Amino acid sequence: MAEIVLAYSASHAPMMSADKESAPPDQAERFFGGLDKVKAELAAKKPEAIVFMTGEHFTNFFLENMPQIAVGLGDGFQGPLEKWLKIPKTIVPGAPELAAHMLDGLVTDGFYPAFSHKLKLDHGFMTVYYELDQTMELPVVPIILNCTTPPLITLRQSYEFGKSVGAALRSYTGYERVGLVGAGGLSHFVGEPRVGDIEEDFDRWFLDQLEKNPLSDELLDMPNDELMEAGNGTGEVRAWVAVAGAMEGHKATTLAYEPIYEWINGMGVTSYQT
Amino acid sequence: MSLYQVQQCLFDYLRVLEDPKTEGRPEIDTEGYDLSDTERKALESKDIGEIYVMGVHPVIVNGYCRALGYKRADYRPMLEAAAVKTEPRKVRWQK
Repeated sequence: MAEIVLAYSASHAPMMSADKESAPPDQAERFFGGLDKVKAELAAKKPEAIVFMTGEHFTNFFLENMPQIAVGLGDGFQGPLEKWLKIPKTIVPGAPELAAHMLDGLVTDGFYPAFSHKLKLDHGFMTVYYELDQTMELPVVPIILNCTTPPLITLRQSYEFGKSVGAALRSYTGYERVGLVGAGGLSHFVGEPRVGDIEEDFDRWFLDQLEKNPLSDELLDMPNDELMEAGNGTGEVRAWVAVAGAMEGHKATTLAYEPIYEWINGMGVTSYQT
Repeated sequence: MSLYQVQQCLFDYLRVLEDPKTEGRPEIDTEGYDLSDTERKALESKDIGEIYVMGVHPVIVNGYCRALGYKRADYRPMLEAAAVKTEPRKVRWQK
């Protein structure tokens, strides 16, 4: 059986790679400091593969065919899609046997994800993955979540989905050590009048909520339209809530939070004791 | 004559602009999409405010603004001017 030896969630603003220097240096240092702690954990615990949940940005799916959840079954995934991201283009290795096992477990549990052998990886994946492993050799099962195109799954559904992800991951016998990552959020506004705003009160409240374990009904029962008040991109925290579901009973610690206005994003990192 | 057609037209245009074989920034091609006169005019005149108000997905609005070379300080006022003002609602993270 596989053990989850690394679990964390982090923001994935494109500018953390594309225009890193635009942030106030002390803020950038504290945010990347949080990611460095996770990277040190990776080096110490050596997961053989990771499952990585992130939001869809019309990179793989559009309105003619939009799944709520999609699992990447491929041998490898091309990324990054964006020419301007300042991350070398590569083929990120997949973990197809783990992915097939995950998909089977999810369906058995009553979730019905789409699946694809040909997912492409955009900033939603590559920013955080590259900070974790600059060799980009760590095998990955990408799981893409619809976080911006209604109807959207609720936070409670995200949590329950995460529990199923955790159970499927732990029941895999092909690896001994695996990792789990959620990427997206925190608060940000995209393509709307509040673009550039950050809902700092939400971010701090949400990070406090994550440190409560299991998550509270106050968080999980939040209607989607209320969550949208924190930003129309903030729904990407569904990936964070899914990681929390997978890691229920494990202590969560906020490693960093910085509202970086130059990157138009609340930037956070939360890690789980494993 | 549907929001989906507007969004598909914009999505296809953004993919054309991303294509390494594309030179410069061609005008948007609205032929072949089932658009109303108002929708076609908004697209051809690059009317960001109207495109936003008709309900185009914000990820597309964002991509389109960037593709046109607008910076946030340029397009935020266009969106603010077009949007219907609403009162902020009570949210649980503000006690």
